[in-house]
Amino acid sequence: MSPRGEAARPADTSSADVNGTASYVYGIVPVDVEVEPGTEGVGEPGGQVGLVTFGEIAALVSDVRADRPLGRPQDLRAHQTLLDQTAAEVPVLPFRFGAVLTGSDAVLEELLKPYHDAFVDALREVEDRTQYVVNARYDERTILREVLEENEEAATLRDRIAGLPEDATRNERMRLGEIIEHAIAGKRETDTATVLEALSDVCEQLVVRDVGHEREAAHVAALVERDSQAEFEQAVDELARRWSGRVEVRLLGPMAPYDFVGTA
Amino acid sequence: MTVQPAGRGTPAGGGSSGTNLADVIDTILDKGLVIDAFVRVSLVGIEVLTVDARIVVASVDTYLRFAEAVNRLDLSTTQKDLPEVVQGVTQAKSVDQGEEPALEAAADEVEDVPEEQPREARLREDD
Repeated sequence: MSPRGEAARPADTSSADVNGTASYVYGIVPVDVEVEPGTEGVGEPGGQVGLVTFGEIAALVSDVRADRPLGRPQDLRAHQTLLDQTAAEVPVLPFRFGAVLTGSDAVLEELLKPYHDAFVDALREVEDRTQYVVNARYDERTILREVLEENEEAATLRDRIAGLPEDATRNERMRLGEIIEHAIAGKRETDTATVLEALSDVCEQLVVRDVGHEREAAHVAALVERDSQAEFEQAVDELARRWSGRVEVRLLGPMAPYDFVGTA
Repeated sequence: MTVQPAGRGTPAGGGSSGTNLADVIDTILDKGLVIDAFVRVSLVGIEVLTVDARIVVASVDTYLRFAEAVNRLDLSTTQKDLPEVVQGVTQAKSVDQGEEPALEAAADEVEDVPEEQPREARLREDD
């Protein structure tokens, strides 16, 4: 994927009903982008990735069989890899996985033409910006000890349960687990706020993602200026060091700005 | 901290192997532009197989799992870490703000741990 160059067009998919193929759409890019020949997309076998162009924009597409379900791990990875590699070089509006139109005519007539100006504006918004995701998770032993120490009822329940058979202490176990879950939820709120505070100066926008794991300390997506990437990574690194032993911090990215192209 | 570059940043030939599938699902099934919002006419109703990798946070299973984890926590501290306890307490006095895991065992298992537990101090710092 590189800026400038003649737009390649995918195989004609206008007759979707006849040959059973449809157009899978990955995202929208500026029109002066070219797809490296041989780039494979989703499906089995993976369709050749090409562009459908209109005005200043182009849709990244590939042919898929309309009668086969999509969603194998390879499909998911193909979708994300293509978009992230694209985003590394040019602005891109990533689509959610699973966007399929009847053919390239539909992509042109129903997606690119009617929404051309909105896409142009949105592309400008993400230009020279990239996304990261910070995923922080509590160390299990550390966080459990922390809760037991801070919560008397939890410690009492722990002692009562110890050594007794499981079925004899089901209620106590439930209550203990409930206390821990609530305690962690409270800590998560505090620690998510800490993440937001630590990163707000080194990025453009922050979005708190839904909780995805019971020991999650924070799950935050950040839109970062390309020029500030090093600064941002350093800030995350500092946070990780500060939390060392208590919270494991993972930094994902840079990636396409999935969390910052909402249609709302 | 582990840094997992997506896409281009990964080692040559590795694709996006550095990112686990749950992360991929979190991102591309949950986020990104939704085409239905734009196109209502000829969207193909292709079946998308999705796995909900996320778990329900406040569930009975979660509660019982936490309780079980606490149980394991106790076993490991009494059986494995206890011999280190004495050493840990000694270090607690000499090493200010130490990071020794044994100190935590000491706090959990020994009755006569002095009030100024280094662990408490450290936790408050973290908060």
